[in-house]
Amino acid sequence: MSHPAKRLRYVLKRLLQALPIVLAIVVVNFFLLNLAEGDAVDVLAGEAGSATPEYMAELRQKFGLDQPLPVQLFVYLKNVLSFDLGYSFRHEMPVLDLVLDRFVPTLLLMVSTIVLAVGVGIILGLLAATGLNTWRDTLISVFALVTYATPLFWVGLMFIVVFALNLGWFPTSGMENIAMFYSGWDRVWDVAHHLVLPTVTLSLFYLALYTRLMRASMLEQAGMDYVTTARAKGLTERRIMFVHVLRNALLPVVTMAGVQVGALIGGSVIVESVFAWPGLGMLAFEALFARDLNLLLGIFLLSALLVVAVNLIVDIIYSSLDPRIEVA
Amino acid sequence: MKTRLWLGIAVGIASIALSGMPAQAQRAGGTLVMLVQPEPPSLASYLSTSGPIGLVAPKIYDGLLDYDKDLKEVPSLAESWEVSADGKTVTFRLRKGVKWHDGKPFTSADVQYTVMEVLKKVHPRGPNSFKEVTEIETPDAHTAIFRLANPAPYMMRSFGSYESPMVPKHLLEGQDARSASIANNPVGTGPFKFVEWKKGQYIRLDKNEDYWKEGLPYLDRIVGRFIPDASTRTAAMEKGEVHYGAYGAIPNVDVVQLRELDSIGVTTDGYAMINPVSLIEFNTTLPPFDNPAIRKAISLTLDRKFLIDNIWFGYGKPATSALSSSYAATGLYAEGMPNYPGKPDVAAAKKLLDDAGIKPDANGVRAKATLDLIPYGEDWRRAGEYMKQALGDIGIKLDLRYEDVPTWLKRVYADYDFRMNVNYFYQLPDPVLGVHRHYGTDQIRQGTHFVNSSRYSNPKLDELLASGAKEPDAVKRSAMYKEIQEILANDMPVVNLHEMKFLTVFNSKLKGHDASGFGAYGSFDRTWFDE
Repeated sequence: MSHPAKRLRYVLKRLLQALPIVLAIVVVNFFLLNLAEGDAVDVLAGEAGSATPEYMAELRQKFGLDQPLPVQLFVYLKNVLSFDLGYSFRHEMPVLDLVLDRFVPTLLLMVSTIVLAVGVGIILGLLAATGLNTWRDTLISVFALVTYATPLFWVGLMFIVVFALNLGWFPTSGMENIAMFYSGWDRVWDVAHHLVLPTVTLSLFYLALYTRLMRASMLEQAGMDYVTTARAKGLTERRIMFVHVLRNALLPVVTMAGVQVGALIGGSVIVESVFAWPGLGMLAFEALFARDLNLLLGIFLLSALLVVAVNLIVDIIYSSLDPRIEVA
Repeated sequence: MKTRLWLGIAVGIASIALSGMPAQAQRAGGTLVMLVQPEPPSLASYLSTSGPIGLVAPKIYDGLLDYDKDLKEVPSLAESWEVSADGKTVTFRLRKGVKWHDGKPFTSADVQYTVMEVLKKVHPRGPNSFKEVTEIETPDAHTAIFRLANPAPYMMRSFGSYESPMVPKHLLEGQDARSASIANNPVGTGPFKFVEWKKGQYIRLDKNEDYWKEGLPYLDRIVGRFIPDASTRTAAMEKGEVHYGAYGAIPNVDVVQLRELDSIGVTTDGYAMINPVSLIEFNTTLPPFDNPAIRKAISLTLDRKFLIDNIWFGYGKPATSALSSSYAATGLYAEGMPNYPGKPDVAAAKKLLDDAGIKPDANGVRAKATLDLIPYGEDWRRAGEYMKQALGDIGIKLDLRYEDVPTWLKRVYADYDFRMNVNYFYQLPDPVLGVHRHYGTDQIRQGTHFVNSSRYSNPKLDELLASGAKEPDAVKRSAMYKEIQEILANDMPVVNLHEMKFLTVFNSKLKGHDASGFGAYGSFDRTWFDE
């Protein structure tokens, strides 16, 4: 079989395997979420200021919360298979619309964070490894340690105080300047302007990880036999480091990045909260407190699909980085 | 020549006349960005009295009446009204030429539908506020006659647009009010029209060009922003990205800083219609709080001034009765109630406990309980910590419990699985609307939130509450409520802590936001920006 055909077969096989995994995730999440005390009707009634027991019973019937759990699960699974993720009674909107609406801001934040964190992390790790034990290495290592140890919300708030309040270079929060109602390229520029502080805050933490990982990985590769051979062949240090060692050292970093994408949806709750960024993290967080199970399950489903997809992409990147790794 | 002379005189007169005008003339235009915290579940103010809904919906809907800063009734959708001598008929003459935002005319049929089919049935306080209304006659499109079974003086206080918004019959008829689409796409008669709601970001309202008040509103647009983190809200306020935040959107600890800035104003006005009071509810059916002595001892021990000064940064007034002192304006508040000391009296508290037979054991502990705290913010946690310390001094050992809102609501109001619960309530413009719900036997409704969860039941009090509600004569009503407050001060099913003062933080350029007695819950029709 030709290489591309093999790869295609592999991708299809993996996708098929993903189905039972995602299904299992949904079932487990469903039972986990139902362990929490109180339900959506309690929250709705509490927010309304008061509600009669009859009204609450009626609501429960309408939401289907009075059915036994296995029945509720069955109904939910049946709906999911027809792309009906259910209705969020708290938001009075279908879950699919809600999730898709917030998906784009989340994607923006996630992609820019990954690009920044992985990109800068790789560069810093590289610089640290090639300048081993010099002041450059020490400086970078200390920087990584400090950014890793500092709490995200504090970093976010400090950025707001310094860059938004004192210097006035960036806005304090939100995705766009809503008093202006820009459109077209003005809007793109406005969103980008608002994206800077949240992205930098979120990437700082992950950057530390990639820096240290890259550094360690480079050092490990530099001790391998093929490097000695390359040197014996007479290749320049530059070519050895930046072409051969780098490619091999990237593998653990790529693995890490793939795993972290899944974590990013949840981990961005703090940044979304501090910067009022309308992402899925905040939506999930609020949904939990509102006991909006339909919405939570919808978000979890999306996360699960995303993680499966990213893992697949990472595996394919592997095989292109290192042809020795046969995945098909 | 002569023309020039006359022109000169005319200009002279004109400039003299103009210089006599006030320097601050309202300017039209501008976009107000206000904090709405947390994001409301919907915009159906006819279905829910949730605070965030109250910040946005009254700008879209009008009520039959409005209330000015002195809490006097002011015409709104009703131009005039008469109450009959026996108090059983209220006739409203409605304004002509008012249109809904979709262009259809507003008529008495809308009033009839709103009160009888919507507010009386699905609004949290509607069934109580309008319980005496048996029917509403609509002899013509601009007259609505309310027929009551008994006089209801308190009802006239509930016609504001926050409490009883007028909703369009033509958009709600035939549907279940609880799932109507205008919940998220409101159509009202108010100064601002609903334009869009980006979930998680903002709600946008544009000026209603056809508003029935000539020349109003001044603002072009109102945008309600949702910012989950308190410090970020403060930063946004400081930077001028948001212009208005009420009901504690800016935490008290940050207000202390912000009020020093010239660009920011702070006020405690605008909450007189709301009358928030914090209190401790007790489970009076189980030990140790089934004994009134221990409840009174707690009231004598807690230092209300300390709580106000240290946890709410000076904003508040100690409670001195079951009714808030702002009812003094209508003569219903009674002074000098027992068990509400100006300063804590630990000795008297201990004596009360000893006399009641609740003596300390070998470790000095007289009673143990779990204190549940309303999970609405850090200030309540601090308050709980203080209470634990203060009550520890008289031998009541407390464990604090802080859960999330649905769990807490279920525990306290559905399961009655609590001993002491700290909460706060709006007493509203009349005690019937906001106070009776804590003490009446008929208000013991398991599963319903924010009503008589202490399950206190006193037949004499029930009689007084019922007659106090109906009494049209102000002097007689005052006497009844004095007796009610005396009974409650001696039984203390609920210990009232302090009359809360919410804060409104606003940009100094913003004027007229406090034109209505409802403050932040007002329509903002007279709000404008001074540049």
